[in-house]
Amino acid sequence: MPTGSDDAVLELTGLVKQYGPVRALGGASLLVRRGEVHGLIGQNGAGKSTMIKILSGLERADEGEIRISGERVEGLTPAEVLTRGIGVIYQDRMTISSFTVEEALFYATPALSANGVTVNRRALRRKADEIIDRYFGVRLPRNALLRDLTTAEQQVVHITRTLLLDPRIVILDEPTAALARKEVESLFRGIEAMRRDGITVVYISHYLREIQEICDRITVLRNGRDVATLDARTTSIAAMTELMIGGAIGSLFPDHGREAGAPVLVARRLSRRHGFHDVDLVVRRGEIVGVTGLIGSGIKELARVLFGLDQADGGTMEIDGAAYAPHSPREALAAGLALVPEDRRTQGVGLPLSLRENIVLASLDRFSRFGFMRRRAETERARGFIASLRIKAPDETVPAASLSGGNQQKVAIAKWLCREAALYVLDEPTVGIDVSAKAEIYRLLRDLADAGRSLIVVSSDLDEVKGLADRVVVFHRGAVVLDAPSAAISPSGLLAAVVGGRAEEAHDLARH
Amino acid sequence: MTLLATEAPANGRGRGAIEFALLMPAILRAGALLLFAAIFIVFAIQSPLFLAPGNLLSIVSQSSILAVLAFGLTVVVIVGGDNALAGGIDLSLAATMGLAAAVYATIVQLGQPEMVALGAALAAGLGIGALNAFSVVVLGMLPLLATLAGMTIATGLEQLISKNATILVDSALTRFLGGTDAQGFPVLAYALLVIAGLLGLGTRYTPLGLNMQAVGGNPLAARASGLGVSRYVAGSYLVSGLFGALGGLLSVSFLGASSKGAGEMLLPIIAATFLGVVFSRRFVPTIAGTLAASLFIGMLTNGFQLLNVSSYWVSGIQGVLTLLVVAATTTRPRA
Repeated sequence: MPTGSDDAVLELTGLVKQYGPVRALGGASLLVRRGEVHGLIGQNGAGKSTMIKILSGLERADEGEIRISGERVEGLTPAEVLTRGIGVIYQDRMTISSFTVEEALFYATPALSANGVTVNRRALRRKADEIIDRYFGVRLPRNALLRDLTTAEQQVVHITRTLLLDPRIVILDEPTAALARKEVESLFRGIEAMRRDGITVVYISHYLREIQEICDRITVLRNGRDVATLDARTTSIAAMTELMIGGAIGSLFPDHGREAGAPVLVARRLSRRHGFHDVDLVVRRGEIVGVTGLIGSGIKELARVLFGLDQADGGTMEIDGAAYAPHSPREALAAGLALVPEDRRTQGVGLPLSLRENIVLASLDRFSRFGFMRRRAETERARGFIASLRIKAPDETVPAASLSGGNQQKVAIAKWLCREAALYVLDEPTVGIDVSAKAEIYRLLRDLADAGRSLIVVSSDLDEVKGLADRVVVFHRGAVVLDAPSAAISPSGLLAAVVGGRAEEAHDLARH
Repeated sequence: MTLLATEAPANGRGRGAIEFALLMPAILRAGALLLFAAIFIVFAIQSPLFLAPGNLLSIVSQSSILAVLAFGLTVVVIVGGDNALAGGIDLSLAATMGLAAAVYATIVQLGQPEMVALGAALAAGLGIGALNAFSVVVLGMLPLLATLAGMTIATGLEQLISKNATILVDSALTRFLGGTDAQGFPVLAYALLVIAGLLGLGTRYTPLGLNMQAVGGNPLAARASGLGVSRYVAGSYLVSGLFGALGGLLSVSFLGASSKGAGEMLLPIIAATFLGVVFSRRFVPTIAGTLAASLFIGMLTNGFQLLNVSSYWVSGIQGVLTLLVVAATTTRPRA
């Protein structure tokens, strides 16, 4: 077991952390060796973020032990963590957007001032320039405000700030979540440089391919415990995924449905300026249609027109033979659609409300009689969704705020699925959701189709489109370039249609 | 095989929003400066007295009380953040000024040594500040409500002490502060410049000042960087209480008496602090901005008096301007 290893620079043993009714960590351990890049993976809610918060002193563990370079530390504060040579680069929400680059680099650093009164900017500037140049090979304008920088540039500032403190261990929490591939490469060069300089790195990510690329060893967390520590280079992605979800992933997608029925939605020569043109689309009863394409291919714009957020400039839509041209989402709902918008995280969940209230919120008319709520029916429905989506919560009365981010997303989806409709339009239904929750959502969508409802899933996840949908419609530069049963399309054929044969886009796609 | 066409990088804020955010401060700043100039010119044309050196100096000494109080609020807003609801605010400043003035005047009138009166006045200010700090930091109350309670307490104490009457004061300190130097330059104006200079340097060019701004800019980030956020916030309310007391002393010196109705200063204090925001490049409260806005408000009051316009107009204008600036800072997109 971990204790006693000579080269252990960081040892967390048996960490336990309870947030109200939710147990975030139930005895998780982590051993990081000096000089390695150590990956930390796990599904949403597995306890990665909690572990990092405890390690950075922002939260205190209920039980467990932390050793830094063999020395046991207790009651860590953020300031002490820093003086012990640990720098943490957080996922988000850590930007002081009104600061200039220079201010963001230097605030709260001991080196800022020798006497506590005057600021020694010149020495700091030199050091900051050196670090940025050495690890990232870029130049940042010192007086630019952080709010005017790109996410990648802000991240360079955060990392440089951390490196200014001469850390021995750097922890990166989901550093690539908001980066483009090129920026990821630049970040990885920075991490390689840290490794060469003998800095130990803990790297947390959802992107298993990146973990494989950059890490030496990996610790897998599941349900608040560490389940395995592995060699990153010899472990396959399939094996990692299996450990993360605690079982094989063969059953991610349910079997395809039966024969589809009569047309429900028929669009003819549908056009929207700067979006798509002359689109013919038919969605039948009991069918899941996957609509996919690159950014700018027109799928986002199609979703907006279906939702009633934008209006088509040309062409017609019919639902069950009646003309459909919604001017607002309200009209779309009135026409019998259920919409699952993409920005669920901001619009989807009322954090102080209970799970039950959240789930029935969009279909109150179905749960009220004479203006009063039918509590029992609500409770039953909410419990049904908590079970079928495996929302990790003690019961339906806890506030949504007490759940992890991934589970909040499931609640947001449940809210819309709860609203029974003939036609569901879902925009990126599984973005930011972990593997097992995805499988549950796919199962639920398939059940809806089997029950005779129709679904349009707009998604840029090709696996999802191919695995889930009965029929795949591919957009390219605003036009439909492929409309075929998904069983008849090969993965490479789908990719070719999506990218329109352009090599650099195919490369960018292969990132995940 | 896992293939995924990724979404656009997360900084996908609308271009329009970015341009708006960049232009907004410039438009507001230009507008505010134009308004300043326009009002100045109108006053100069309308009233021959307005540009007289004596009158301009009187504007400065009159504004010094407002400015010193607004400095206190500015520190609170710098450290507490300028979020209109949960950010730093100190509604008790005007009442604290009244309390400190009453404490000072009463003790001097009782024939106690001036140093005792001075110490008691400052202690009264610090006491209200400590109460606010306790409510906000320890009890976790919203500053808006916590300092509203502090304001009520300070007002009540003031009325108890002064028996709701005006108390005349004539002490060495008030004679000095209320007087002029050999060239006829008011001491209050000197006091204002010295305080503004020190505080401006302190909040802008020292590590402490930078850290204060960090705490206000993003408390979570500041905490993760090892700053004791609670201590900074508590400190800001103590500083604010101290400046409330300082304002009380200046006011006693200017008027030669403790006066009732200190609460009427509340709106000008808030107006000066939030109007001052338009003078900073990134649209945040600064000491220099607050100073300029205080002088502007002082000029308004003075000019309207010269033109025999009701002083209620000044309140109205301050209210409208504050509304505009606070609305602009609130709707500003936050990264």
